[in-house]
Amino acid sequence: MGITRREFLVVSGAFGIGLALSKLGVDMGPVAVYAAELKIDKMKAAKQTITICPYCAVGCGIICSTDTTSKKIINTEGDPDHPINEGALCAKGAALFQTTANNPNRLQKVLYRAPGSDTWQEKSWDWALDEIAKKIKATRDAYFIEKNSKGQVVNRLEAIAHVGSAALDNEELWALQAMLRALGLVYIEHQARI
Amino acid sequence: MTNHWIDIKNSDCVLVMGSNAAANHPISMKWVQKAKDNGGILISVDPRFTQTSARADIYAPLRSGTDIAFLGGMIKYIIDNNKYFPEYVLNYTNASVILGDKYDFSDGLFSGYNPNAKSYDKSTWAYKKDDKGLLARDESLQDPMCVLQMLKKHYSRYTPEKVSEITGTPVADLLKVYEAYSATGAKDKAGTILYAMGWTQHTVGVQNIRAMSIIQTLLGNMGIAGGGVNALRGESNVQGSTDQALLFHILPGYLGAPTASLATLEAFNKARTPKTVEAQSANWPQNIPKYSVSLLKSFWGDKATKENDFGYAWLPKLDDGQNCSWLNLFDQMYAGTIKGFFAWGQNPACSGANANKVRQALAKLDWLVNVNIFDNETGSFWKGPGMDPKSIKTEVFMLPCAASVEKEGSITNSGRWAQWRYKAVDPPGQAKPDGDIAVLLMNKVRDMYKSGGKSPEPVLNLKWDYVDAKGHFDPHRVAKEINGFFQADVKAGEKQYKKGDPVPGFALLQADGSTSCGNWIYCQSYNADGNNMARRKKDDPTGLGLFPQWAWCWPVNRRVIYNRASVDLEGQPWNPKRAILKWADGKWVGDVPDGPWPPMSDKKNGRLPFIMKPDGQAAIFGPGLNDGPFPEHYEPLECPVPKNAISAQFINPTIKIFGGEMDKHLTCDPRFPFVATTYRVTEHWQTGIMTRWQPWLIEAEPQMFVELSEELANLRGIKNGEKIKVSSVRGEVRAVAIVTTRFRPFKLGELTVHQIGMPWCFGWIVPKDGGESANLLTPNVGDPNTMIPESKAFMVNVTKA
Amino acid sequence: MADGYSILVDTSKCTACRGCQIACKQWNQLPGTPTKNTGSHQNPADLSFETFKLVRFSEGVNGDGKPHWYFFTEQCRHCLSPACMSVAEKDEIIQDEKTGAVIYTPKTKDLDFKATLEECPFNIPRQDPKTKVLAKCTMCFDRITNNMIPACVKSCPTGTMSFGERDKILDMSKKRVAELKKAFPKAAALNADDVRVIYIVTDDPKKYYQYAAGK
Repeated sequence: MGITRREFLVVSGAFGIGLALSKLGVDMGPVAVYAAELKIDKMKAAKQTITICPYCAVGCGIICSTDTTSKKIINTEGDPDHPINEGALCAKGAALFQTTANNPNRLQKVLYRAPGSDTWQEKSWDWALDEIAKKIKATRDAYFIEKNSKGQVVNRLEAIAHVGSAALDNEELWALQAMLRALGLVYIEHQARI
Repeated sequence: MTNHWIDIKNSDCVLVMGSNAAANHPISMKWVQKAKDNGGILISVDPRFTQTSARADIYAPLRSGTDIAFLGGMIKYIIDNNKYFPEYVLNYTNASVILGDKYDFSDGLFSGYNPNAKSYDKSTWAYKKDDKGLLARDESLQDPMCVLQMLKKHYSRYTPEKVSEITGTPVADLLKVYEAYSATGAKDKAGTILYAMGWTQHTVGVQNIRAMSIIQTLLGNMGIAGGGVNALRGESNVQGSTDQALLFHILPGYLGAPTASLATLEAFNKARTPKTVEAQSANWPQNIPKYSVSLLKSFWGDKATKENDFGYAWLPKLDDGQNCSWLNLFDQMYAGTIKGFFAWGQNPACSGANANKVRQALAKLDWLVNVNIFDNETGSFWKGPGMDPKSIKTEVFMLPCAASVEKEGSITNSGRWAQWRYKAVDPPGQAKPDGDIAVLLMNKVRDMYKSGGKSPEPVLNLKWDYVDAKGHFDPHRVAKEINGFFQADVKAGEKQYKKGDPVPGFALLQADGSTSCGNWIYCQSYNADGNNMARRKKDDPTGLGLFPQWAWCWPVNRRVIYNRASVDLEGQPWNPKRAILKWADGKWVGDVPDGPWPPMSDKKNGRLPFIMKPDGQAAIFGPGLNDGPFPEHYEPLECPVPKNAISAQFINPTIKIFGGEMDKHLTCDPRFPFVATTYRVTEHWQTGIMTRWQPWLIEAEPQMFVELSEELANLRGIKNGEKIKVSSVRGEVRAVAIVTTRFRPFKLGELTVHQIGMPWCFGWIVPKDGGESANLLTPNVGDPNTMIPESKAFMVNVTKA
Repeated sequence: MADGYSILVDTSKCTACRGCQIACKQWNQLPGTPTKNTGSHQNPADLSFETFKLVRFSEGVNGDGKPHWYFFTEQCRHCLSPACMSVAEKDEIIQDEKTGAVIYTPKTKDLDFKATLEECPFNIPRQDPKTKVLAKCTMCFDRITNNMIPACVKSCPTGTMSFGERDKILDMSKKRVAELKKAFPKAAALNADDVRVIYIVTDDPKKYYQYAAGK
């Protein structure tokens, strides 16, 4: 990836905070600052990944540090090499850490709500995608319009609609619109419209 | 943006209007600050004194919904005080073109209005042509029917006093802004506009932006460093999602969606490809057939052949005039005609205007598929407030997807920079990247159609091989498809390309099926040089912050579009100190020129700068929009005044007003006496569904609030921090009152009008006492060109809770 | 001790994006605490043992009738002669010779919190009610001893915050105040001789925050 690691490389001779403080003759014990010591040491060994902020359209660069043992993201902060933000981040970008699996609120299960029910049920991907595919086919077969009232060939499906998403990657979006148009959808909209 | 973020530093005068850039595009202020450090100034025009205003050299208040009055006054000022850039206006705009005899404007209406259809016959707005079929012109700009004189006439009514009566801006403040901004008409000065939803979310949204485009072309600010019309787009990849056409009315690369009367590809190409007879117009859209055929080849692969019209028939067609945009979509859903719905990475239960209607509409669906990283008010609509789950039959599938750092791909920022980003970790639990979900789902559908069903051809003929060896969605395969390939051996000039080679750039796309290209404006993004979107070189040869080798921007890595307008007819920059482009030794130096042709002084080969317009010039008079060729002030659908101060036409005469039971609106009514607007905060994102689940962000902005003036607070006996109710004819929301000096009542002539504002980032699902969505109050009425809802100006009441 | 590091906070450039407030939380993995909107964007309402960096908002009206909105992104000043240290007996509170950072160790649980807080002219020290340990900004000691700048400074987009060697920061401060004085005659750098975290304001410091320039 070729990111410069000038901010993350330890210049030879420098040391972690634990060593720094012990040079001051301090026994830190287990507290927040000491925990931060472990963090800075972990970051030196972490995998650094470049990403772009998922919020506004400035497109700031962010570097994620992933602990190679736990496979968890342990830090997110600005990419100092990015020409637009030069390492800076606003509140949302600075909080990117809390969009990751570190946030226990992340949806991690496929859920289904049956007609009339007031709860979710957990399901497998296979079951859910099968059901959705069946519904797409059933709806499309029932409501597909080959010709309009003027007798013009229209080959469209108005009974299924789609909204989303300005949060997806270009490649996902292109594939998605191809899929939706191949199915005949015309009610295709998203954040840009509102 | 016509320009880009870093370019803001090159500006002498940054106007932020219809935007609170400091709060909603915070890092943009890095470049605004640099402009200030270089002697530039910042102007903030906003109903509320915002974070942007706090840093501005000049702040002017204006009532929500009156931007055209404000800008119309600026146009008048520019013309009256000769602040426009004469050579630029004469050569690069249609100022000299003479209008046809049928054109007229009277008391708020343009010629050709049909009150029954609520639409215009635009043929009365056509230009006059000479006997050669060329546009008739008066290069002295004196003919009373020439565009410049008609512009002057149109805005002669927008005196500072009249403008002040409409906007509530003190005359002194108007003149301060006008004087400061119009100074950028000088050759060596650049003015830029940063705008966002404050301009688009109105029934006159498009005309707001047109008004500023007129100002920018009068002042010669288009195409130059530190200039341009800079739309601050809303989401990290809304530029990309628009480019890839997740909208009903376009196909990737802004090709218009096909309509029923265009029965063949030939008919489509003919109708959508403009012609021109203007000698020096490049008329780049003449290449559309190359792009549409190449797109069809990407859709259907080898199944698209000349014999079957490249699969044109398999694309769904809209009926002529059919509009499937957001407001119509939810209206149809409410009517029960939509059976299945994908809310894929979006939360319409909180983002849709008149959100009560949206939520009721969701309850009428047979099935709903919700893809998201967090639980949200849309996927969980059936257990929301006021919902009775027992009576809701909708089957709902909530599919957990990957966050941005859990997959690889590109996103495009507002400056058109497509930037590649990487995967840090696997998605957690069962969560999958959206690309994988799409692949798996469509594979199942296609399998089912192999055994029969209605019209299986488009489903089965879709080129759908975007997976790696393990069957996972492969963003690189798609990115290459978007760039395009030669589908046959093609000789172009000296070079011989082989079948399977990537197309180097869109100049080599063909209309005969020998190339495929998923999106012509992205052609060059991933070619034989590699993934240009992943580049990270920091060279900046011009010193203007172009960074030509950082990532890749469309089109063809041109960082400032319309840049041929930054030079004179000899190709020399108007301002040599900030030269985006310069013609030297028979070639262009600087940014990628907006077309390789020599300067205009070469009468044979030189080309006009506005290459996407058939006649090559910027349109001061714009005869293509639904509501008029010149912006005109109309009141919002819901407004505080009994009539429009500038004409007999109260509201935009071409807007669609829904008439159903859920489509209530009420104007100038004592029950809802205050103007309301909606906005955002830095700490939350859109409906808040990503950010309300994050402790650090909800800590900083925990609850729904309303900002109101001290005067209004006194009127209603409301104290700062107190709980209040805000309501419109469509709904009611509770909030905490923030009583502030930053909203002031507006004096509109004799009338005093109060305005309040609120964020729309809250919703019932989390946190418990966070509050509800402001969109429960907003009206579902939209701009007549875009149908973007008027979320920024409507009428409410405010009381203690 | 005139060497070591300093932080300059030029409030004339701040846009209250709260990147600094959150970056501090992220770096130190401090929790988001439950809050309510009390009629202000300022949240949490105050510094705490879990909030070391806080953007304070204050608004009013100028002489010309136009509103003003001031943002004061507060943190410990890392005083040259920290008054809080005068309450300490041994090494509960340490001041690093090289950087000048003033650090609260776990041993602060043994200190008289009330007295410590009283001593601080800027009302900074806060206590964890459970452990009794005192907490505040650490000047990102772990970062600055590893060739990194403090998280808040890095996050700042507008150049409001700068970090560097003290003499260079003092230079920057003097230059900027001179510049600002043209449009803002009341422009000043607060307590520049006594603190390492120097705030530049363009108006009476009390308009920003009660203790902006000390008690």
